[in-house]
Amino acid sequence: MSPPDEETLSARVGASAFAVAAEVGGVAILSARLVRRLFPPRVDGPELLRNLYKMGVRSLPIVGVTALFVGAIMVVQAGVLIRRFGAEGLLGWGAGFATVREVGPILIALMFSGRVGANNTAELATMTVTEQIDALSTLAIDPLSYLILPRVISMVVMLFILTIFGDVLALLGAAYTGQGLLGVHVATFWNGLLEAIRVWDVATGLIKSAIFGLIIALSSSHYGLTVTGGAPGVGRAVNASVVASATGVFIADYFSTYVLQ
Amino acid sequence: MIEVHGLSKSFAEPVLRDVSLAVPRGCLFGLVGPGAAGKSVLLKCLVGLVTPDRGAVTVEGETVTGLDELALQRVRRRFGMLFQNNALFDYLTVGENIAFPLRRMGVTDEAELAERVADRLRAVSLAGFESRMPAGLSGGQKKRVGVARATVTRAEIVLYDEPAAGLDPVTSQKIFDLLRREQRETNATVIMVSSDIDRLLTVTDRVGLLHKGELLFDGTTDEARSSRHPVVKQFIHGEVEGPL
Repeated sequence: MSPPDEETLSARVGASAFAVAAEVGGVAILSARLVRRLFPPRVDGPELLRNLYKMGVRSLPIVGVTALFVGAIMVVQAGVLIRRFGAEGLLGWGAGFATVREVGPILIALMFSGRVGANNTAELATMTVTEQIDALSTLAIDPLSYLILPRVISMVVMLFILTIFGDVLALLGAAYTGQGLLGVHVATFWNGLLEAIRVWDVATGLIKSAIFGLIIALSSSHYGLTVTGGAPGVGRAVNASVVASATGVFIADYFSTYVLQ
Repeated sequence: MIEVHGLSKSFAEPVLRDVSLAVPRGCLFGLVGPGAAGKSVLLKCLVGLVTPDRGAVTVEGETVTGLDELALQRVRRRFGMLFQNNALFDYLTVGENIAFPLRRMGVTDEAELAERVADRLRAVSLAGFESRMPAGLSGGQKKRVGVARATVTRAEIVLYDEPAAGLDPVTSQKIFDLLRREQRETNATVIMVSSDIDRLLTVTDRVGLLHKGELLFDGTTDEARSSRHPVVKQFIHGEVEGPL
C-alpha cells in the first residue's frame, strides 16, 4: 500500500492529466465544429472585417516596437562574436536567419497572444457569463459562425501579415543597430543577409506564424466560451488562455521547426 | 402549443425533476417558484439552450430536444426571449440592440428599422435612447431595453425571465400591462417567469409553480389563488408561516 503523500501526488498528477486532456479535447471539438461551418462557408462578413481591423491594424504599433527591438537584440547578441572574429559580413545572415525563421514569429505571436488572444477570451467570457452568447442563439444566430469563425480567421490572417510586417521592421532594426553599435554598414548587412537566406527560410517563419495564429485563436475562443463562475471566472479564463496559448506556441514551434527543416 | 414531457436536468444536483406541462397556443403562462427552483433552466430547455438529461420538449408538434445546433436555429426563429440578466450586446447601441433581431430576419430598410426601434422605445418609456450604450444605462433601463428587443419581432412564442426585476412598482405594472397587451394583439404564446407574484397574476391565464425542480401546481390563475396546497398557498399569498 502506498503512503498517503504518494497517493495524493499520484491523484494530483492524474487529475491534472485529465484536466489537460479535457481542455485539449474541448479545443479539438471546437475545431471540428468550426470546420463544419466552412463547408459551405458560413462566416459573418461585417464581423470578419471588424475583427480584421481590430486585431490587425490596432496591433501594428505593439508589433512594430517589438520587432524593432527583436532585430536590435539579435545584433547585440551577435556583436561579441562578430567583433572577435571580424566577421562583419556574417552579421546579416546571423541576425536575419534567426529573426526570420524563429525569434520574430515566436515573439510576435507571444505579443499577439497577450494583446489579441487575452482580449478575445475576455470578450467572449464576458459575453458568456452575461448570457449574450445565449441571446445570439435564441435570435437564431449561430454563435460559432457569427462570433468565433470571424475571430479565428482574423487571427490567423492578421498574425501572418503582422509577422511579415514584423520581419521587415526587425531586419531594419538589426541593420541600423549593426551600423550604430558595430559599425557594420547597412549595405554589408543586407548583402550578408540576401546571400545566405533562402525563400524557404522566410516561408518557414510565415508558416509557423499561421500555425501560432490558429493555436491562439482556438485556445482563446475555447476558454472564452467555456467560462463558468461569473466575473472571477472571466479572470481565470483569461489567465488560462494566455498560459495555454504560450505553451501551445512553444510546443508547435518545436514540432514545426523539426518538420520544416 | 408548447409541451414538456418528463423533463429532468441535473448539474451538480438535480435542477428539474420529471417536469411535464402543456402551454396552449395564445396562452400567457406564469412560471413561479422560490429561488433556485429551476425556472430559468426550464425556459432554456424550451429554446434548446440547455439539453435535458431526460424528457422532451415539443413546439407546435416538433420535438426540439436532440436537434443539432443548426436545426435548432430554424425552431428558434419562432421565439423571442428576455434573459434574466438582459443579455444586451454591449458593443452595440440601444437602437442597434433592438434592431439586431430585425436585421437578422432580413429587414434592411433603414427607415423601417428606425421607426420600429423608436416604437419599441416609446412602448417601454425610453424614447430617444437609440444612441445610448448599454453600459450607460441603469439596471431598470437595461431591463426595458431587453423587453423592447424581445418584443420587436412580434414572435409567436415569447419567453420572459424576470421582465420587471429591478423596476419601480409603476414601471413594473406598465411593463406587465404592455406585455399582456402585446400578447393579446399577436396571440403569442408567452411564458413569463417573475418573482413579482402580485403583478404577474394580474396578467396570466395559467400559472405553474416549480419547487425544488418539481412542478407542484399547474392550473388557471384563479385556481392558483384558491389552491389549498400548502406550498402553493404560502407562495402565492406570500405567507410567512408554512412549509417554505
